[in-house]
Amino acid sequence: MPPVVRLLAKRLGTSLLVLVGVSMLIFAIARIIPGDPARIALGPNASVEQVAQMRERLHLDDALPVQYAYFVRDVFRGDLGISLYTNRPVTTDIAQFLPATLELILVAGLMMVLIGLPLGVIAARYRGRWADHAIRLITLLGVSAPSFVWAVILMLCFAYFLPLFPIAGRIADSYAIAPVTGFLTIDTLLAGNLSAFANAAWHIVLPAFALALSGIGQAARLTRSNMVETYDKPYIEMAQSYGFAEGRIARRWAFRPSLIPSLTIIGLDFAAMLGNAFLVEAVFAWPGLSRYGVAVILRKDLNAIVGTVLIISAMFLIVNIVVDLLIALINPRIRHSQRAG
Amino acid sequence: MMTPIARPFAAALLAATVLTPLAVSAASAQTVLRLDEVAVGELDPGKASDYADSILMFNVYDTLVLPVQGGPGYAPHLAESWEADGNDFVFKLRQDVKFQSGNPLTAEDVVFSFDRMKALGQGLSFVFAKVESAEAVDAGTVRFKLSEAYSPFVASLVRLPILDKALVMENLGEGDGEMKDWGQAFLSANGAGTGAYKVVAHNPQQETVMEKNPDYFLDVADSAPDQVRLRYSLEAATVRTLIAQGEHDISSQWLPPEVLKALAGSGAQMLKETGGGAFYVKMNTAKAPLDDVNCRLALASAFDYSAGIQMVAVADGVAQGSPSTGAIPVGMFGAGETPLVRDLEAAKAHLAACQYKPEDFTLELSWIGEVPIEERFALLMQANFAEIGIKSEIRKVPWALFTELVSKPENTPHISQIFANAVTGDPDTLLFPMYHSTLKGTWQSPENLEDATVDELLVKGRTVTDPEERQATYAALNERLMEIAPTIYGYDRQSLFAASNRVKVPALTDPDKAFGLDGMGFSFRLMEMTGQ
Repeated sequence: MPPVVRLLAKRLGTSLLVLVGVSMLIFAIARIIPGDPARIALGPNASVEQVAQMRERLHLDDALPVQYAYFVRDVFRGDLGISLYTNRPVTTDIAQFLPATLELILVAGLMMVLIGLPLGVIAARYRGRWADHAIRLITLLGVSAPSFVWAVILMLCFAYFLPLFPIAGRIADSYAIAPVTGFLTIDTLLAGNLSAFANAAWHIVLPAFALALSGIGQAARLTRSNMVETYDKPYIEMAQSYGFAEGRIARRWAFRPSLIPSLTIIGLDFAAMLGNAFLVEAVFAWPGLSRYGVAVILRKDLNAIVGTVLIISAMFLIVNIVVDLLIALINPRIRHSQRAG
Repeated sequence: MMTPIARPFAAALLAATVLTPLAVSAASAQTVLRLDEVAVGELDPGKASDYADSILMFNVYDTLVLPVQGGPGYAPHLAESWEADGNDFVFKLRQDVKFQSGNPLTAEDVVFSFDRMKALGQGLSFVFAKVESAEAVDAGTVRFKLSEAYSPFVASLVRLPILDKALVMENLGEGDGEMKDWGQAFLSANGAGTGAYKVVAHNPQQETVMEKNPDYFLDVADSAPDQVRLRYSLEAATVRTLIAQGEHDISSQWLPPEVLKALAGSGAQMLKETGGGAFYVKMNTAKAPLDDVNCRLALASAFDYSAGIQMVAVADGVAQGSPSTGAIPVGMFGAGETPLVRDLEAAKAHLAACQYKPEDFTLELSWIGEVPIEERFALLMQANFAEIGIKSEIRKVPWALFTELVSKPENTPHISQIFANAVTGDPDTLLFPMYHSTLKGTWQSPENLEDATVDELLVKGRTVTDPEERQATYAALNERLMEIAPTIYGYDRQSLFAASNRVKVPALTDPDKAFGLDGMGFSFRLMEMTGQ
């Protein structure tokens, strides 16, 4: 079996175990949070009989393992239950809200890679000079404030005082785009509506940038410090003594080994953005899964809590697997270590 | 020179700059009203209970009667007339009403709507507890049979939206029995009413889009909005920015006072809704020292009512509350006339007459974690009560926990803070759940009150039919509730909404056009877009 496939199989196996563990944990925690979910769902005016009926329907009076068994049975049927908060199937809610969040964090992730890594390379290449100092200062600002603070600052600067960008939502009200993938930037292109595409792209810039700023800062700082370290290695000195161009040395011998820790951090940041997206989604009225997740926790919507956490956990695991595979592809030592294992 | 990577970005930015304004102006021929509320927007009228649900219900559906604008009582709406016959009520329906589907309104639709409400048993179905059945006498007449005399029945009909039976029956989802799911899946995403606005798109957590129904049975002014976009759960900062930029028209009532103040300062108009409810500070009468009426009267006299109003003030003369005159909000049957004021001397005298001495107890002042303003009221009470020597400690309680705590008197805090409103506009729906001894120990009744006179007056209030007699009954009830002070009547709630000047809302600005029922002021057909 090729080493990369072996690595993939191993990671998928452990991920499955993690998902089962997470489902048990979140299933139990969701039921420990104070408050009767049936009472909360039915509202303060519901009668005791109505609450009792709903508790029975949700199997809330059964023992926890019995409730979990019902849950597992339903999951295998592709049914995560009905959200007590929106009164719709949890799968429908997730299918509706997940693409908005994925689109947001994919664009934010792209920004992290396309802005963070080049900034790190430039800072390392010109270490000790003004460009390095400027980049370090800017990236420090990025990591030192949480994304929701940046969301409000960016909104005030570029949507309120200087109205260059829209304030809320994914696209202007005047467009009606039929959902295909749920990614508006893709759906607008599929619909052949360039004006709508431009509008959707215009809407995503500020929230994605607010979400990405911290990651951009981290990626840039990490890339810089790794590259600076790499520059002190003997093989770089040798390349310099052979008179290779600085740009070539940076690209071929300094940047690539420095990319491995940066990729790991970018991968973790990328997955963490699912959680961090909540406040950014709230500020920009972005109809995503993170906002939905917080709302269902506050309402003790058992089915939706478990469904949302499972999806977010699965996203974490997928991103980690992708990052592991990328690192294995970049780093032959890791790739070949699978052979021995 | 532009690099190959920079070119697509520049092109996209240029396209966004050039194309977006064009698209927006193309769509501007239609007047669009944009407002927000707290999620979720429950579209199924059988489950509607929150404010957003009410807004949807009152625009997508109609009811047999409507509250009279600017006064007490109810006027015919889908009904042409009605008469009481013992415990029965017979309604004649209008003959010119069609559902949005084109189906005509018949008595069968009314019966179906009632049966569905009872069968689901959700939302505000409890207001029909005294109604045994509804039957179609003929296509245009419907009879409601009540189990006992219940004079607020006509008022409760504002919570019975009439559904298009034929349409719902065509769209029954999975479920047991003949009626399967009673159309729950269909109605949670679609409208089936006669209302002045049709649902075009609905996402209960994001937005509901509605458009004017051209076949509505009443005349709707051309200036009423063509399209309405009701957005859910916008952040205060976002709403403020959107209104300032002219991209939003009416805020929810849940904006913090300082944001309302800032919006008012920057030229936004303030819309008001009054008469539906009040802020109540509830005292647990089943727990010492508040089982002694004198201790309760001491606290009620020591409370600084005017400071409370100041705490919810937004601008000069504009506040999220108006002075309370007693247990019943001003505008309802039996409301008092004299605003309550602080009286420290009376407080000290009552405390001296109390069997418990202040040094022997510490009061637990709770506030609901999800309602930050209550923490400020807890601090105000702590300071007020300290002035007469009463010690207290403040406890934050999440709503979910609070509803559990109040089920047992011994777990119920000494002091709880509640915002309550009359869901039908009648004082019965406000006071009966709060003070009748059979309903003690709920979130509405943490007083755990047991008072025979109060019980008697509450029952009388729902059985007498003569308006003057009802007025006298509720006035006597108000007086009794002042005497025994189970509650500190904090202030009459006044909901404030910041709005742009693009819209006129007479029902929320002119007291003569107000409905006195939460959410009904948001009847879009009565609004006017000014085009500013």
